[in-house]
Amino acid sequence: MPTFDFAPLLWWGLPLVAVPVVIHLINLLRHKRVPWAAMEFLVASQRKYRTRVLLRQLLLLALRMAAVAGFVLALAQPRWRQAIGGLLGGGTATHVVVLDDSYSMGDLAGGGDAVTDAAEGDTRPATAFDRGRRVVERIATELAATTGRHELAVGLTSALAVTGTGPAATRLLVPRQPLTPAAVQSVRDVVAQARVSAGAAGPREALAAAAAACTADGASDRVLWIVSDFRSRDWLRAEDMVATLRRLAAEGVGIRFIDCAADAAGRSNLAIERLEVMGGVPAAGVLLPVEVEVRNDSAVPVRDVMVELREDGGSRPGVRIDEIPAGGAAVRRFDVRFTSPGGHPLEAAVPADVLPADDVRRAVVEVVDRVDVLVIDGDPRAGGVTGDAFYVATALAPGSGAPTGLRPQVESPRTLATADLTKFDVVWVLDVERLEAGEIQALEAYARGGGGVVFFCGPRTEAGTVNATLHRGGAGLFPVPLAGAVDLLPGTTETPVPDLVVEDHPVVAVLSGQRNPLVDAVRVDRVMAVERGHDPAEHGVRRVLSLRTGQPLMVERPFGDGLVVAVLTTAAPTWNNWARGNPSWVVVLLELESHLARIRRQADSLVVGDPVAVRLEAGVDEVEVDFLVPPAGDVVRQSAAVAEGHLLEARLPAALVAGVYEARWRRGDGTERERLIAVNVDPGEGRLERIGRERLNRETGGLPYRLDHADTFEAAAGGLAGTSLVVPLLVTLVVVLLLEQTVAYAAGYHPVSRRTAAT
Amino acid sequence: MTRGSRRYLRPEAIARIHRLELRARAVVEGVLAGLHKSPFKGQSVEFLQHREYVRGDDLRRVDWKVWGRQDRLYVKEYEEETNLRLTLLVDGSTSMDYGGAAASGRTRPTKFECAATLAASLAWLALSHGDAVGCGVFDDRLRSSVPARTKRSHLTSVCEVLEAARNAGAGDFLRVLRSAAEILPKRGMVIVISDLLGDRDGIFKGLQLLRTRGHDLALLHVMDDDEIDFPFEGPTRFEGLELPAHLACNPRALREGYLEAVHAFLADVRRRATAIRCDYALVRTGEPVDAALVRFLSRRASMAV
Repeated sequence: MPTFDFAPLLWWGLPLVAVPVVIHLINLLRHKRVPWAAMEFLVASQRKYRTRVLLRQLLLLALRMAAVAGFVLALAQPRWRQAIGGLLGGGTATHVVVLDDSYSMGDLAGGGDAVTDAAEGDTRPATAFDRGRRVVERIATELAATTGRHELAVGLTSALAVTGTGPAATRLLVPRQPLTPAAVQSVRDVVAQARVSAGAAGPREALAAAAAACTADGASDRVLWIVSDFRSRDWLRAEDMVATLRRLAAEGVGIRFIDCAADAAGRSNLAIERLEVMGGVPAAGVLLPVEVEVRNDSAVPVRDVMVELREDGGSRPGVRIDEIPAGGAAVRRFDVRFTSPGGHPLEAAVPADVLPADDVRRAVVEVVDRVDVLVIDGDPRAGGVTGDAFYVATALAPGSGAPTGLRPQVESPRTLATADLTKFDVVWVLDVERLEAGEIQALEAYARGGGGVVFFCGPRTEAGTVNATLHRGGAGLFPVPLAGAVDLLPGTTETPVPDLVVEDHPVVAVLSGQRNPLVDAVRVDRVMAVERGHDPAEHGVRRVLSLRTGQPLMVERPFGDGLVVAVLTTAAPTWNNWARGNPSWVVVLLELESHLARIRRQADSLVVGDPVAVRLEAGVDEVEVDFLVPPAGDVVRQSAAVAEGHLLEARLPAALVAGVYEARWRRGDGTERERLIAVNVDPGEGRLERIGRERLNRETGGLPYRLDHADTFEAAAGGLAGTSLVVPLLVTLVVVLLLEQTVAYAAGYHPVSRRTAAT
Repeated sequence: MTRGSRRYLRPEAIARIHRLELRARAVVEGVLAGLHKSPFKGQSVEFLQHREYVRGDDLRRVDWKVWGRQDRLYVKEYEEETNLRLTLLVDGSTSMDYGGAAASGRTRPTKFECAATLAASLAWLALSHGDAVGCGVFDDRLRSSVPARTKRSHLTSVCEVLEAARNAGAGDFLRVLRSAAEILPKRGMVIVISDLLGDRDGIFKGLQLLRTRGHDLALLHVMDDDEIDFPFEGPTRFEGLELPAHLACNPRALREGYLEAVHAFLADVRRRATAIRCDYALVRTGEPVDAALVRFLSRRASMAV
């Protein structure tokens, strides 16, 4: 049966069909009087053509009435709903509404209208989500008032995007139900309680579940409504989403997009993109460099941005950013020092703007009393004060006067096979003559897992042994194959040339730039030469330091998730004089330590929607874990389950809000443990650039859909599924108008021009 | 010049026709010698034929030279040229009052004004050539008339007849033409100017009667442009000028049938006129009178040669 998207227009417009009849009747009453001589011809014509004239007039009148009716019908946008469904007793239109509740929908850019929150009772400016809620309410209300039977289901993108938690129907905010007056009120009540989430899951992530809800069972007509803010981020290169939409459209599902976002032109949105510790040793009392990055998403530069900082819940001096270019970002660095071990929350915030959700970012710095570092000393006379281990250990932990937070533990190579290497930040292997297979295996496993390993060469280092056991043609840990120890010949130029050449590498960044007297003072006498013909750069090896002869001195190569650094000379001042009273030795070693430990220290960066998990030790920790969920600290108790190996894991399925989560559990000995976990919003979701109708058309490439704005849409307009009859109707209208013109022309008088008459 | 002369005798029409002449196509009787062929043979410069003498012939016409050579009496006959006796009969019935412009909005003369202008112009032309001109205006009978005269000043009398008040009635052609045939003493030229709306059989019976009496006939059929093109639009109520009928209709719907009827009427009129050797010309009120006259006179001149 045909239905009309603008049914009221039909009822208002149909009386216009009578207009031609009325005009005809008025014309009959408004006769022109003409005294006429040749009446006999007129009477003869009237006698002869009476029937024909009457029929022609009726035809003309009917065609004009049909044209008006066709025009009114076309305006009302008729749609032919599938007859089969109706014949089988269906005839029900199912509407699945996907309401985007990603945090970008909290955009206040619309301004103007205010919303009184039913649940919280406060009045605030309307967000895009508020407009989206009103859209859903209007869909329910207007469809209920439309002819035909309608069913409605409403889902939030944050819930629909969660996978592996049962059928899509169970994740709907409003389960599919017939739109009775009571159901409409129920929909309004439920939707009024909905809040914008802190997650980034939008239509793209929710579409699979929404499509499943659309294709649940055989409704005669189906419409998928996507109520969103249509940001570029959601729709650019969204091939998977477009493919799903195209499939639904091919199955006869009507696609309607409702844009809830307001134009934010001229209003800035700042987002804290990043807040993280950049290197340093996270030990108590040690200064840690922290970087904060603020992004400006608006089209104009923003000046004098004050970033407020909080540390352990208390304020601390903020940082000021003079200017952030339009569409750009600014990075500022500051230092923090925590005096006690444990998790320390850190928070950065910019002044509130149109999108408050991304104005705050949090991080948790796990601080320990001391960071253990394993130093493997290849000297059988371990413990000596002149060996390599002494110089390395001293550089890493100079003493209480200069706390580095490191606690070097000097051990023999045998320790590699017996100790749990994962508790060490970095393993330093100093001039070892030979490592056994088990030791090499443990060291490689440690490096693959993200650990950092540093090799120093020396007199005990055998090139052949290193090549055979550690390098193994590139498959092993050692970054380069060795040729053997060689002396560095003195320079031939009169002007002394420094032996060390600083490469472009973060470890030696503090020494790069203009000539550094500390580096100039380093003299290298002997090194292990790299095998002739081996170009380190071709094998993914990066130079950190080189010699004036061009030979590499310190090289780095990734191994698994970790990094391995090889220094082709001694740590002790045997083959060089670097460690003897030269401060740059200490600086480079501490930088190297931070650089290699960076991967292991990278805190898990959780975003809203990720599971929040803590790992427990079986037999040591109890299995019950209380998660304190921000902002109110509601307690959610979870039992740990076996995760991998002998480790247990307790987890919250998904973090629904941003903030610092706290996990508390007891150990078997009765002590309490706790861990802080920072969960932030996905900063990308805060990019408010709109896709726009033209680009949306390009991205969806031929997908039949209708895009309306939340303020102007009408639920019944084009919302009903089925075949639109507008085009066939317009074609018929054109045919009717042509016929009308033809009949009118045939019945009319058309003076012949002189030129035509002459020809 | 009287008011009637000023009204109907238009200088532009006179200027265009003054070089033309109204020549009789048939042999007509005249009083003065002129351009027109006469049925009378007499003394003239144009020799016509020899004819055998019969008793009663004037002996002065016997060709004695022929008698001397052939010993037979023959008389010489000469062609005598007489002046033309032109009678103008103008239809003054009510239907001639249609003035057009009802559809186009442009003012045109009524059919009677057009007919009167034609008559006055022809009268002027005939008088200027020394021909005698008589004129009558009729509807159901001859309302006003003036006998044929050759004096130039007679033009005023003709115009006064055309100007005289008319009775608003339907035309009775047979009656009028029959009485004209009885009144007109000699054979001459009769030009009937009318819209021919009415009893067509009566019209042509009357014309046939005149033809039988030896008159040279011409029929100037005056019709308004509206009557030929029927350019009316919009709901219209047509009210008969002569017939007591009215018709409310959409003219566009009836136009096709009307034009068919008009064309059939014109074809019938032309056919019947040809049958009685009556010269026929259709004059539209929308065209200049001088153009219509030039066309009419030129054609007559070419046919008379």
